[in-house]
Amino acid sequence: MTLVEFPAIALAAVVCWAAGSLLQIPAKNSRIFGSLSWLFMLSGTLVLAWFLTSYWIALERPPLRTLGETRLWYAMLIPVVGFLVEYRYKIGWLKYYCMGLATVFLGINYLHPDVFEKALMPALQSPWFVPHVVVYLVGYVLLAASAVSGWHNVIQNFRGRRSEKGESMSHYLALLGFVLLTFGLIFGALWAKEAWGHYWTWDPKETWAFISWLAYLGYLHLVARKTDPRKLQWYLGLSFFVLLVCWFGVNYLPSAQNSVHTYSG
Amino acid sequence: MEAALFTLVAILAGLGIELLSSGAGIDIPGWPFNLVFLLLFGGLILVVGLMFREHPLVAWLGGIPLGLSLIVGLALLSLVGGVLPQNKFPPGSMVAMLRLNGMFSSWPFALVTLLFLFNLGLALVWKTIPFKVANLQFMLFHGGFWIALSCGLLGATQLERLVVPLYEGKASDVAYNRESEKAIHLPFSIYLKDFQIEQYAPKFALYDPEHDRLVEPKSKLVPEIGKGVKVEWTGIGSVTVLDYLPSAMPGANGVPVAVDGKKGVAFARVRIDENGKVSDHWISSGGPQLKPLFVPMGNYFIVMADGAPKAFRSDVTLIGAGGERKTETLEVNKPVDFYGWKLYQSGYDESAGRWSTLSLVEAVRDPWLPAVYVGFFMIMAGNVLFFWKGVKKMEAA
Ligand code: HEM
Repeated sequence: MTLVEFPAIALAAVVCWAAGSLLQIPAKNSRIFGSLSWLFMLSGTLVLAWFLTSYWIALERPPLRTLGETRLWYAMLIPVVGFLVEYRYKIGWLKYYCMGLATVFLGINYLHPDVFEKALMPALQSPWFVPHVVVYLVGYVLLAASAVSGWHNVIQNFRGRRSEKGESMSHYLALLGFVLLTFGLIFGALWAKEAWGHYWTWDPKETWAFISWLAYLGYLHLVARKTDPRKLQWYLGLSFFVLLVCWFGVNYLPSAQNSVHTYSG
Repeated sequence: MEAALFTLVAILAGLGIELLSSGAGIDIPGWPFNLVFLLLFGGLILVVGLMFREHPLVAWLGGIPLGLSLIVGLALLSLVGGVLPQNKFPPGSMVAMLRLNGMFSSWPFALVTLLFLFNLGLALVWKTIPFKVANLQFMLFHGGFWIALSCGLLGATQLERLVVPLYEGKASDVAYNRESEKAIHLPFSIYLKDFQIEQYAPKFALYDPEHDRLVEPKSKLVPEIGKGVKVEWTGIGSVTVLDYLPSAMPGANGVPVAVDGKKGVAFARVRIDENGKVSDHWISSGGPQLKPLFVPMGNYFIVMADGAPKAFRSDVTLIGAGGERKTETLEVNKPVDFYGWKLYQSGYDESAGRWSTLSLVEAVRDPWLPAVYVGFFMIMAGNVLFFWKGVKKMEAA
């Protein structure tokens, strides 16, 4: 499958998510509607997983090279976090944000179609390519979910409806995200040694990965200091903006002129 | 509060030193002084940590509040270094005077890092002595970071990254330092037997000369050339590839004939269908002695472009000073070790592309690399424990 089919696939996924979300209303009183709703929501994600698999085959390389390609992965994985959180914590609202975010990503890809290009520059042809990118990708997904729930908690606090369960959820999402960020950083360094000759050159992308890592390191130390969790929800919500700069903002900074990472644009 | 002030003072002091020295930056001492410094610094932390543990000032120096402000300080300095292009400002400009364009070798960065290592070191000493298994994750994570950061920065002065230009059929032991362009003799020489480039299949496109752009085909794909490929442009026409010769030269009667890989250029015979008007033509991407061939289609042209490089490699023989020989292939992502150096395939003559007889190899020596890697693996081990503990706590929550 190629990008020609993408609009139809994206539409199918969004329709599945929307239908599943709407079915949650009658699902309150009926188990059958509940199952049906989950069937739809999961199908939306499965459609994307199927597309990614066949796109991978058609490209003859992992679809992880361009920002557009990684957005497809986010669109597939973010709802999964929402579903898992509901399964684990019985917190239902996160999944709607997640499906909304995924819809935005699909929309961006629809408006800015990628080109179908099999070429993979030699530096990217390495056993490190998939683990490095996938670890970061999953880390970003978890931290995005943590930021969303951080914001949600901030708003709920304003409305006088503090939820400790909600706070603990954003905390654990951030914690798992940090672990993956750390692995991503080190895998990146080990790979850079094999591909470019040195493990760290303060390339703008590396520098920003370091800054985002420090931001979450700061979070963990604020937690260790027993900072008020209500304040930390703000912190989690805002840290994600640093991550956004690292993810795609770097390409627009003055420092990006001589980056070895601009191929990721 | 005091911690933030303290960090700010360190940054300002660093900037002051830069201003006084016109942004000369910090020169980390070379071998063996970097090792001596590391041992003294480590020893100092150990002594202070163990002897003055109860002193309020020392407790503060190794505490989380200071650690947090130093993390913020480090993040802010990195932010400046991550926004401003590095090495891109004229000397004498304000940015250069403060060395904001060489952030990662500047005094403010060095001072904050030094304090950071001191703070982290104290916390580490207290968590390590007396030893408790429960603190293992902390030790691995923080100890690994301490080792990687300190050894990475102190080892940077001994890092050598040299460019070795090689020509096919010749041996050379001359390498150049990128900055000083000084020639250096390696303890071995490299004979380049053959340099090869593999490319992706060439692409073809419809070029619009009036607007200087490529017209997107109906399928939205960048078409790769291959026998039987057919591409349509809405309202303009279609092109079918009848035959494709990846490496050919024009024969006696002008018709391309296939030749051995290295000499030829790509040719394709295409059938152009302009809404019913059918004609067959040869197109070609061209090469060093051959002009590219393109054919008109309406007001546009069908052009062919070389594929992107897929792989490039150098077949070399490494000849040590003692006479030992080793035959190797250097390829991107596949460096080769010889005499304590790591050799990387780094580039070629890009203007000659596939026909380059020049191969650029990078020779790297980094004696501190094992120490940094020990740090990396400790961090990863701590990370695994952290993950495991986190999942267990999450289950309990
Ligand atoms: C600036 C110096 C640092 C100091 C003084 C410091 C100190 C501490 C302290 C006291 C804790 C609480 C540990 C506990 O109670 O179990 C902690 C937790 C933590 N630190 Fe640091 N740290 C520093 C730097 C770092 C760095 C550089 C990293 C990352 C490589 C890091 C990663 C962590 C993590 C992940 C935790 C959470 C551990 C847990 O909750 O079990 N710290 N740190």
